[in-house]
Amino acid sequence: MFKNILVLIFAQFIFSSSLLANDKLNIFACEPEWKSLAQEIGGEKVKAISATHAKQDPHYIRARPSLIAKIRRADLIFCSGAGLEVGWLPILLQKSNKTVQPGKLGYFIASEYTPVLDIPEKIDRSHGHVHPEGNPHIHLDPNNILLVAKELNRRLSLIDPDNESYYQKQYNNFINRWEKAIPMWNKEIANIKGKKIIIHHKSFDYLFNWMELDEIASLEVKPGIPPTALHLKNILQNINSNPADIIVISPYDPTDGALWLAEKTQMPVVTLPYTIGGNEESKNLFALFDSSIKILQNALYDK
Amino acid sequence: MTKFKILLSLLTTFFVYSKYAVADDIEDRVKQLEAKIAQMENKGGGNAEESSGSTKIYGNEFNPSIGIILNGKYNNYSMKSTEPAVKGFAIGHEGERGREGLQLGESELNFSSNIDDKFYGSMTFAIVKESDTSDDKVEFEEGYIMTTPNFNFPDGMSLKAGKAFWTLGYMNEHHAHADDFANRPLPYRVYLNKGWNDTGAEISYTLPTDYYAEVGAGLFRGNDYPIKGPDGESPGAMSAYARIGGDIDQDQNWRLGVYFVDGDSPAGRKGNEDEIVFTGDTTLYVTDFKYSLAPTGNVRDQEWTLQAELFARSEDGTYNIDSGGENQFNGTSYGWYVQSVYKFNPRWRAGVRYSQMETPGVPTALIGTDLDGQGYDPTSVAVMADWTNSEFSRVRWQFNQDKLSSGSGSTDNQFTLQYIISIGAHGAHKF
Repeated sequence: MFKNILVLIFAQFIFSSSLLANDKLNIFACEPEWKSLAQEIGGEKVKAISATHAKQDPHYIRARPSLIAKIRRADLIFCSGAGLEVGWLPILLQKSNKTVQPGKLGYFIASEYTPVLDIPEKIDRSHGHVHPEGNPHIHLDPNNILLVAKELNRRLSLIDPDNESYYQKQYNNFINRWEKAIPMWNKEIANIKGKKIIIHHKSFDYLFNWMELDEIASLEVKPGIPPTALHLKNILQNINSNPADIIVISPYDPTDGALWLAEKTQMPVVTLPYTIGGNEESKNLFALFDSSIKILQNALYDK
Repeated sequence: MTKFKILLSLLTTFFVYSKYAVADDIEDRVKQLEAKIAQMENKGGGNAEESSGSTKIYGNEFNPSIGIILNGKYNNYSMKSTEPAVKGFAIGHEGERGREGLQLGESELNFSSNIDDKFYGSMTFAIVKESDTSDDKVEFEEGYIMTTPNFNFPDGMSLKAGKAFWTLGYMNEHHAHADDFANRPLPYRVYLNKGWNDTGAEISYTLPTDYYAEVGAGLFRGNDYPIKGPDGESPGAMSAYARIGGDIDQDQNWRLGVYFVDGDSPAGRKGNEDEIVFTGDTTLYVTDFKYSLAPTGNVRDQEWTLQAELFARSEDGTYNIDSGGENQFNGTSYGWYVQSVYKFNPRWRAGVRYSQMETPGVPTALIGTDLDGQGYDPTSVAVMADWTNSEFSRVRWQFNQDKLSSGSGSTDNQFTLQYIISIGAHGAHKF
């Protein structure tokens, strides 16, 4: 009896969900920044989803059932790479299709098309959670977005040649706007160069590298190892001789360490959006940089 | 003359235009190469001087991922005398409670790798010393190949063949070191001898639906508890399963599955130190449910999980007790557990688990034997707290109260301290 009911429920589930593929290209982006870029270039010809949202740490995602269902229908997998998704993407890949396997056009790793920072000379687990390929959070340098967008356009045109001219038009439109935005941002960040920052995790390296800000300490003891009381005390001592201007965290970092340090030093703590959806304003890639710059300006110059 | 001029200007225009287009292309290429150079410069880093002297060994690029799991324990039991029996059931060796005192538990060595574009392979050995008088035993836990999506199957289909912890319930396909408790719940101990890893093949298919839906079936040699002994060449056991799951919202997700495994045991399934032997047909049905809630959407910070499995075992055959006569047995028994684990910050978790076996009625011939539950249902309650420094190390404290038989003096209070560490590559665990 019990068995029969289960079979019925199961059958109903299957038949009520859509079995028909939609006619849009299905893009499985690992992170929201790539979903946004896919929407900019792909427009109405693609259906992009993001496996993670801004409040999630993309390192520690579980390969849960809904992600399996999503990747099963993907025509393009679009991820940062450099070890960021190594904890969960390989399992999902086993359930995806031939066209999106590593080495194929449908498997697009953004960090393979940009310069990568912080490639370690020595790797050892005692250094914490270190990526041998380097720092994977590449999207926060606007020049990297250019490089990735270019490759995305190329791939979309090859995977979906019928819509090549549409993608090209979308791409040109995006590049036009983006290439106008970069000099504007460069002007806006001119007065924050050289400022000193304390971070929680090295998620903003590319942003601070572009802005020429100086990361002087990290709240994490080592990458992936949460802050301890002793480590925080050490940072506090060092700040007296080498003061910092602000503490920066991402929406998914725990706040205890940052708040404690801020209280002891009167330094402002800012949460930068990190990716699309990280705050109200960051609805797309342009707004992400606009908002990040504005927040930093406000914190550093007390507007 | 004009014709020639026109031709010349046309050719010049064409030439200039194509040069321009090529220049554009070249500019692109230059930009790409610049990026690549920057990348290589970063990689080259401090090694530019060294590379001229060293010889590169290319064989290592193709080494498999090697992972080692060490699982040390300290157990202390209140019931010291003998291994407590599970009333109404015969259990195998691995279903027993484990040794007391300081021990290395089961250490695991795993090699896995893509074999080529179409296959993936993995091998896991467990090294364990079962008693002070026995030698170290190396158990071949898993050795299988699996097709990758590049294989010429329809999309979503995969075949796994060899020896593996097959898809049956929630925990069976995970290695014990990944469990949330230091020991397995009663149904796993009684029905699966801790885990079912026969030799065979399993095909699985993930449907292209909005909700996650997966089905699968397998054929096996039929030589792993609860099925015992191949009879000739035919497959001795078969299985099938179906799973569905999905997200409720950004913070909650779930999965439900139904499974069965069925096989004949002509060689006799032995239990209770080989004193009780079952010969006949066994069908095991399992239903599993897993639910996860992450209040911040981030399972790393805070998470509550609820997990439950319900087993039903139908047996149709004979039981032979202490080399006495053959006793017909045709009945169904049940076992289930439910566990709740709460991670309240990235490093600390606490959990509670309840498991219960429901003894079947027995025919007259078996009354008074170890298979006679006499209406008593064995239970076990476990509470645990663990500290996880990183995904590679964990320390756990656990307290169990096993009430496996009725009567006074049959409550076993167990205390366990455990560490679990992983060295080397360790793939992520499935959901």
